Amino acid sequence: MLSGLANPRQAAVQLMNFGLILSTAFMMWKGLSVITDSPSPIVVVLSGSMEPAFQRGDLLFLWNRNVVAETSVGEIVVYNVKGKDIPIVHRIVRKFGKGPEAKLLTKGDNNVSDDTELYASGQDYLVRKDIIGSVFAYIPFVGYVTILLSEHPWLKTVMLGLMGLVVVLQRE
Amino acid sequence: MASTEKITVYNVADLRATTDDALLNYLNSLGLRQSHTLLDTRLALGFSAFLLSAACFAWDYKLGFESTKQYTLIAVILYTLLNGALTYWIMFVEQGTIYAGSTKDGKTRIRVISDSKKPQQKGEAPLYKLRVDVEDVKTKKVQKIELERRFSEWFDASGRFVAAPFQTVLAQGIPLVGRLDPKRAVAAAPASGGQGMIKEQFAETPGYTAEILDAIASGLGESSTTAATGFSANQDAGKKRRK
Repeated sequence: MLSGLANPRQAAVQLMNFGLILSTAFMMWKGLSVITDSPSPIVVVLSGSMEPAFQRGDLLFLWNRNVVAETSVGEIVVYNVKGKDIPIVHRIVRKFGKGPEAKLLTKGDNNVSDDTELYASGQDYLVRKDIIGSVFAYIPFVGYVTILLSEHPWLKTVMLGLMGLVVVLQRE
Repeated sequence: MASTEKITVYNVADLRATTDDALLNYLNSLGLRQSHTLLDTRLALGFSAFLLSAACFAWDYKLGFESTKQYTLIAVILYTLLNGALTYWIMFVEQGTIYAGSTKDGKTRIRVISDSKKPQQKGEAPLYKLRVDVEDVKTKKVQKIELERRFSEWFDASGRFVAAPFQTVLAQGIPLVGRLDPKRAVAAAPASGGQGMIKEQFAETPGYTAEILDAIASGLGESSTTAATGFSANQDAGKKRRK
């Protein structure tokens, strides 16, 4: 395979194939994002605040368009606290008003109190804009790998090492 | 001349890739001019799709999702179209062509499509299939030639590629090549090296040992036996072996 690199065109084709794998994966993610209108259409549950409905490591699929009805009480939504990048998965328990400016209050099923303390200082309620999607489907446990990788960074090195080993062995 | 690189004889993809490269070099060395249009179009499509996705990544990273939603939507649609066009190009236009070119005077065009096939029986060498279209530019007549040979005819037991028998196969199988390389066209037709048995016979009595191949490479052209009707002799030998 290396002899193919002598020809610049062949090398370009090899490079292009590799680049296209990356770009296709990225564009599929972006396509999903655009269809669901959510910046992050698939999230992993990080805490146990929604038990018994969702456990840590569950993979959630989000939909962020209000085609049929407005976001209402009882829906499980994902939102980002202003200024922080951690998505929180909780249920809407109160709604005041109608339309995009309605005030929404959320609470985790497994939490004692509602989310008022979690919101940014000075913010007492969420509005529709803060929500990045409602959960419409989920796969249990599949997302646990990402939790493991972020809590034990050395696992990333081990995984990369294993993948490198597989590639080298395949050549032989 | 024997190449010094060794490849695994059991890896059909490697066998085919090495043979394809050798074919390109051989045809170009005969003075045929290679046309790069097929490959260039593929590169143009692929790279523009990649650049589009890179741009999308850049604006999404810098400006966030909400403000660039519309552009991202357009980018996704365009990317799908480009990728679809690329797939169409590879599947229906290129169709596995490894060489497209013409003679220096531009009167004849040649196109070579290669493929490999697993052997029918266990222990036999895999097959290298070629489809060659030779087109006369003026009359637009296309001569289609199909060749099917075993890789063991030009790879020795240890995986070294030997150019001479391969070039002879091409020169005797494709009249245009035979015209451009008369030396090979009348050379000794290569025996079905190894009689098709890679595992056992390559170990004990290979059809072509490295020494025999080197001898052929150096002393070719003088000691021909079945030479005169080299092309048809080859065809018959091929038919016999396929049983």
